[in-house]
Amino acid sequence: MKPITEIDGAPASASPVVGIDQTAGNFSYKVDYAFDAGTGLSEDTVRYISSVKKEAPWILEFRLKALKTFWDKPMPTHWATKDLENIDFQKIRYYLSQGQKPKRTWDEVPDDIKKTFERLGIPEQERKFLAGVEAQFDSEAAYSNIKDIVAKQGVIFVNSTEGLREHPEIFKKFFGKVIPTGDNKFSALNSAVFSGGSFIYVPPGVKVAQPLQAYFRINAENFGQFERTLIIADEGAEVVYMEGCTAPKFSTSTLHSAVVELVALKGAKIQYITVQNWANNVFNLVTKRGVAHEDAEIKWIDCNIGSRLTMKYPGVVLKGERARGEVLSIALANDGQHQDTGAKMVHAANNTTSNIIAKSISVGQGRSTYRGVVHIPKHLKGCKNNTECDALLINTNSRTDTYPAISVRGDRNATQHEASVSKVSEDMIFYMQSRGLTEAQAMSLAVNGFINDLARQFPMEYSVELKRLIDLEMEGSVG
Amino acid sequence: MASLTSLSATTVGAFTAEVFAAHLARVQHLPAWWLDRKRTAYARFAALPLPKRTDEGWRFSHLKGLSLDGYKLADPINHQQVTKQDLGAPGAGTLLLANHQLVYAEPLAAKFAQQGVIFTTLQEALLKHSDLVRPHLLAQPSKLGSEKFVALHEAFLENGAFIYVPRNVTVDLPLGVFHYASGTGTALFPHTLVVAEENAKVTIADFFRSSTGAGAQFACGGNDLYAGHGAQVTYLAMQDWSRETLSFQFNATVARRDTRVLSINLHAGARQARHESFSQLQAPGAHSEMLALTIAHGSQEFDQRTLQIHQAPNTSSNLLYKNALLDQAKTIFSGLIVVDPDAQKTDAYQSNRNLMLSDEAEANSLPGLEIQANDVRCTHGATSARIDAEQEFYLESRGINPTQAQELLVFGFFEEVLGKIENPQLHDSLAEIIREKFKA
Amino acid sequence: MSLLEIKNLHISIGDKAIVKGFNLTIKPGEVHAIMGPNGTGKSTLAKAIAGHPSYTITGGDVILDGKSILAMQPDERARSGLFLAFQYPSEIPGVSIANFLRAAVQARMAEGEELDASGYYKKLYSKMDLLKIDRKFTSRAVNDGFSGGEKKRCEILQMAMLEPHFALMDETDSGLDIDALRIVADGVNTLRSGPLGILLITHYQRLLDYIVPDFVHVMYDGRIVKSGNKSLALELEAKGYDWVKQEFAAANA
Repeated sequence: MKPITEIDGAPASASPVVGIDQTAGNFSYKVDYAFDAGTGLSEDTVRYISSVKKEAPWILEFRLKALKTFWDKPMPTHWATKDLENIDFQKIRYYLSQGQKPKRTWDEVPDDIKKTFERLGIPEQERKFLAGVEAQFDSEAAYSNIKDIVAKQGVIFVNSTEGLREHPEIFKKFFGKVIPTGDNKFSALNSAVFSGGSFIYVPPGVKVAQPLQAYFRINAENFGQFERTLIIADEGAEVVYMEGCTAPKFSTSTLHSAVVELVALKGAKIQYITVQNWANNVFNLVTKRGVAHEDAEIKWIDCNIGSRLTMKYPGVVLKGERARGEVLSIALANDGQHQDTGAKMVHAANNTTSNIIAKSISVGQGRSTYRGVVHIPKHLKGCKNNTECDALLINTNSRTDTYPAISVRGDRNATQHEASVSKVSEDMIFYMQSRGLTEAQAMSLAVNGFINDLARQFPMEYSVELKRLIDLEMEGSVG
Repeated sequence: MASLTSLSATTVGAFTAEVFAAHLARVQHLPAWWLDRKRTAYARFAALPLPKRTDEGWRFSHLKGLSLDGYKLADPINHQQVTKQDLGAPGAGTLLLANHQLVYAEPLAAKFAQQGVIFTTLQEALLKHSDLVRPHLLAQPSKLGSEKFVALHEAFLENGAFIYVPRNVTVDLPLGVFHYASGTGTALFPHTLVVAEENAKVTIADFFRSSTGAGAQFACGGNDLYAGHGAQVTYLAMQDWSRETLSFQFNATVARRDTRVLSINLHAGARQARHESFSQLQAPGAHSEMLALTIAHGSQEFDQRTLQIHQAPNTSSNLLYKNALLDQAKTIFSGLIVVDPDAQKTDAYQSNRNLMLSDEAEANSLPGLEIQANDVRCTHGATSARIDAEQEFYLESRGINPTQAQELLVFGFFEEVLGKIENPQLHDSLAEIIREKFKA
Repeated sequence: MSLLEIKNLHISIGDKAIVKGFNLTIKPGEVHAIMGPNGTGKSTLAKAIAGHPSYTITGGDVILDGKSILAMQPDERARSGLFLAFQYPSEIPGVSIANFLRAAVQARMAEGEELDASGYYKKLYSKMDLLKIDRKFTSRAVNDGFSGGEKKRCEILQMAMLEPHFALMDETDSGLDIDALRIVADGVNTLRSGPLGILLITHYQRLLDYIVPDFVHVMYDGRIVKSGNKSLALELEAKGYDWVKQEFAAANA
């Protein structure tokens, strides 16, 4: 067990790691936790969580089986970073809530929680762009609001507890099927202690006009978040889901281990957008996968700016003919950060296509790693994959690694993978400076230019946020 | 304990301590320092386990095919049993080693010998030029996953070729080395060591062949290239063992300041071939090109692992590995470019292109980058596709029938690698060999 | 007599119909220009007749010298005397022009007959000189790194070497400046002295000043809607394609 001081000793960065103003996230409130499972992980913890949520017996059984799987599986350090060994599972709090039922309007939300969101800078006007907001606060939905139009269309948008309790006939069918409990150690952990997250069902032919959103927060020392999301788009349905999160900074590690399962039935489209900005001591280990049926499309747009270590490889299983899978990923790693991200595309039907575009920026001593898997088995034909991963290294000791694995069989499929690593061109910086921009401004523009093609695919409010985040990261890196 | 012997039986296969002793007896006359190294190597070989599924360096490989059972040390052979091999181009000298024995030599042209160029068997070199051999022979660490097999190679290395070019000497005609394995079950451990001093210039062509009808053999060969300041070394290797042979090939290149090293590996033979190639760009101005061309037929498996390490600023490397896959063949390409923190202004490129010519062929690519310096240009790319339909149609629209069109396009695909052979006669002779191999 | 007959041809890409009943007969020595707005099926027509796999013939026939060619593979059609000059010629890295043309010329010879190398090169160089292509290009890979003009001249070189009966020329003038255009046109015109029939697809009238057609046909919505001689091309130039579209719309109202 590594001593805690090692983590404390992370260099106070010359480049301030600031989030939507990350300092805006570095605070916590003393809150009365009505339900607190204590620290440490045991069968009792799991039973406690299940009883508080008043879950059906099958869910408790699911959790207990998962706990056993979690204990049995080793840490994947034979391929992943050894930093994982710094996680002490017994020092983490697995469940914490104010015992509050989801709220229906903004006005009903308790004041101190409102304060949290206000400090995060979510402007009140933004609410009109949102179809519904499920805001998670320390494991329980503190606020939930589904706009009338969406509800009238038959869309179900609730948290995981409500989803499994009120609509098991819809969700049980796919729950734990896209990502089985035993997929990896952290999906098993999530399956044991999951809480919160969004369960969404979109009926056939319904195209949800506004993106559905959720905000998350970690607000206690040694507390881990284990939300579980399941989105089902029925035949011909279309939905966009966005998640963005912040967390306060503490001197011991916190753990975020989410599981997101997406199911796009025939002709459906799901777009899942994430802007991740956890503070620098969070281990962010997420398992995300979607199954795309015939003519369906699943698109992951992933932006990783924060956390101490993020390991996330959004994947799509192209199960039906002509299904399409796409992963667009932007990662920014600053001092003390390691973004280990990538994508997994598994082709399981003819004429499926997959596209992976990953751009990473390493600043200061930050390290970014791309890992990818593309698998096209031999009995298939007409499948295509295109992968591009580009890395931009800003400072002399920034670091990047790329480890894709592409497997193709037969002469009726094609794959293409390109990757490049470079620094911002000096000529480009000089040109901008000769027009009056400072070096820092020029760098910012250059970096934003590097990710521009991807950033444009984010909804506007996110791409603005992204641009600001990057500007702030770049500020300290130059000079 | 019975279990221990059975354990060592699986990990050493036919290469038992007794067999090693028999081998040592054959090379007793060689220097003591070398025999000591071999003994240490054997101990290391015996202690290391065979690769397992979770070893990253063996991902996608067919591990069951790596059994070391059923082989024997090479039997002596006389030159009458061996067909003389032809370089196909005027050369500066030739060595033909069959079952480790020198059976034929076209001695080094006098004008080069006079300038101090050495072109001889490795055994001769160990005896007469120990001081030149010792610093470079198997001096580089094995980093690509075959530590056990590299140790095996060192332990059983019996003979090979040694090429030494002193400073400022140019050998303007190629030197040819032929390694010939005769007899079913023969285990061959060829090694070619090239040392080029400051501003030296040389081209070596290494050929690896089995006797006709040889059946299953075991080949575990190595090659060290050392290019001193300003040297230019071109190394060509043609691996053409029998289709039942298990083959290992380990290339290590050290490129010092302002060097140009070009290494072209052609692969057509073996049932399962593992090729590891490691380039170290150690000083500013070093440039290493690693090229390979593989024709995979039947159920052959070609497993290629490469590593380009940039350890100094202003170095460049360029890797192009092209595979043509037919039938149910399988290829694995895993290439890593590593750039050390101080290696600013590195240019490193890596490209793996797989041409899929059948329904059942399988190509795996694992291109990798580990970059710790930021003022660099590094790219890698991997593509796997069948013949371009537009190109095919273009040729057919000129009246060329589909089979011929395919052939033209496949040879066009090869030409990108073969075209790097500067010596035109050597180029043509190798192109012809490749053409034959493809049509077979 | 050698003839190229296109009879009521219908062509689709996937399930989208592009050419909808195209009729034309070309006699040796005739130049038929096909003009029309973009997207009307001109390129589709040429590529499909040559046998490009992306197109499906859904009706009609193409008869070359009395034999239907629709069942033939692209290389068979070419050996039967058909030549397609591409709008965007493919680059073939690693295959030299010399080798490529030799293979194409050899393909037309009878079994066992060997190509006379010196005769071949003599002819090749004289055609290259005519088209102002540097003789060194023989060792360069086909179209690899060539400019637009160089690619088009390479197409005409191939035509000169392969001596087809009928040539389908797909927008040969696109991307060419006036000098390159003149060279290409001269090359084509010298070939006209033989019994060559040409289907010349072009968007602009300009090319027809250099390669003067015997017939001009306007293609719209997948078929010929108007035919005439050279003066029709001048009329189109003056009035633009909208005039044709309006006439067509009025006729179908």
